[in-house]
Amino acid sequence: MLKNNNFIERSIMGALSFLKESVFADEYALRKGLLQSLDPRIKAATFLLFIIQAILIKDILILLCLYALCLSLACLSKINLGFFLKRTWIFIPLFSLFIAIPALFSVFTPGETLAVIDLLGFKLIITRQGFFGALLFVTRVITSVSFAVLLSITTKHFELLKALRIFKVPQIFVMILGMCYRYIYLFMEIIENTYTAIKSRVGLEVHYKRGQRIVALNIAFLWYRSYRLNEEVYNAMLSRGYDGEPVILHDFKTSAKDWLWLFFVIILFMGLTYLGAKARV
Amino acid sequence: MANTIFELKDVHFSYLGKYPALRGIDIKIEKGQKIAVIGANGSGKSTLLHMLDGLIFPERGSITAFGSALNEDIFNDKVFSKDFRKKVGLVFQNPDVQLFCPTVKDDIIFGPLQLGIEEQEIEKRLERLLAILNIKDLVNRPPHQLSIGEKRKVAIASTLIIEPEVLILDEPTAGLDPLTTRHIIDLLIEENISGRTIITSTHDLHIVEEISDTVYVFSHNKQIVKSGEPDSILKDAALLQANNLVHIHSHRHKDKIHIHSHIHLDHHAEG
Repeated sequence: MLKNNNFIERSIMGALSFLKESVFADEYALRKGLLQSLDPRIKAATFLLFIIQAILIKDILILLCLYALCLSLACLSKINLGFFLKRTWIFIPLFSLFIAIPALFSVFTPGETLAVIDLLGFKLIITRQGFFGALLFVTRVITSVSFAVLLSITTKHFELLKALRIFKVPQIFVMILGMCYRYIYLFMEIIENTYTAIKSRVGLEVHYKRGQRIVALNIAFLWYRSYRLNEEVYNAMLSRGYDGEPVILHDFKTSAKDWLWLFFVIILFMGLTYLGAKARV
Repeated sequence: MANTIFELKDVHFSYLGKYPALRGIDIKIEKGQKIAVIGANGSGKSTLLHMLDGLIFPERGSITAFGSALNEDIFNDKVFSKDFRKKVGLVFQNPDVQLFCPTVKDDIIFGPLQLGIEEQEIEKRLERLLAILNIKDLVNRPPHQLSIGEKRKVAIASTLIIEPEVLILDEPTAGLDPLTTRHIIDLLIEENISGRTIITSTHDLHIVEEISDTVYVFSHNKQIVKSGEPDSILKDAALLQANNLVHIHSHRHKDKIHIHSHIHLDHHAEG
């Protein structure tokens, strides 16, 4: 067996289980909540409006209200708030590290001094403008990310893909995305099975160099499998009449609830735009 | 001649120009026939089926389907191509290859949608097939969540919904439990009774008698070594053994050890 503390094995298994849990488990999309009951096309369009609004708003209070609305929608859609916060805030350190934290300091954002940090004799000045700029940036990122994540976890993935068509995304692109989604799972299964097979055959301990070799061979094998599969899937498509222009069934149905939701979001969008403009004046 | 669907004359094919897959194949298939193609792994069965479905073409020799010679050029004609795809349906050996859409429903209706069949008609055919194959519960599920038997049923549905004149199946019962196997065989027999030509490749000898009236035996040399009625083929133990379709089996009964050739057909012969 590859050692339990084997870095490569743990990384691969960790990545696979994360993908399975986050991408392929439609657990929240199957719950009976507010957002789950909406037509995916209208939901996607309204969430795009929310994200545009989050990008445009310059007033941090209005932005925080929008974030609060997002959290309320999550609760109304029977999403565990702890899970949702964990899923969305995971992105923040990444953005903060490269953009928000440098923006705090006078080197990047000159202005009124708010605090001074003495770091081994170097004086780093945090400016008021820098601090509020960074805060606005982080709030904007978390609000946009939260809406995007909320949309993806309350909608079945294939419905979300189909909904892309209302944004005039070409059908071939939607279809390729769908196939990627489908076959990533198949390859995940192949990787898992390959690892089980390796574990059952190579004994208890493997030198890390040999481990690396096994991984390299498996990457090559997987590449070959994907190449073969690509050819076979294309043949299977041809066999059923595909001629380069995919045709897809339009089977979404809207109800009064969807139109009511759309109306609410448009009013809110206009209201927030008005408030934003007023705050600037 | 009007009843002839496929005619292959001295067909040769190789992969990458150096790995032979078919050598000198002569086959004639008439409308309404039940054909079984048997042979060991790698004997060229799948290659033949892909050729009958117009996915690959002979390097030497000729293949005609419904009176027209099949080649790459003729499939560039969209009218011919669409007409051919409506008439001939192939169920692939690996259902993961055939089920490439995000849901079972999308997969089943993929074919008729591409072939321009009316949406109402598609819905009607879909309902009928879901009931026949007993897969109504699977309709909104992603194919990757299905068992192998369910995947095979969906793959068959995705071909049957086109209502082809010729149904080609590549090892449709491989790896299935006995009940699902039975279900699929019954379905094939019913489809043949309703007028469809059925061409099946398999090495499950116990199903050959039911799903065929003519059997072609492929050898390791990628050639047809014998063809005929299932009864005469299945009785030819030497032929089956020479082509890896039966094996010498040794087992113990109380204190005696028996050694004989093992064929799954034996278990069903007396029933």
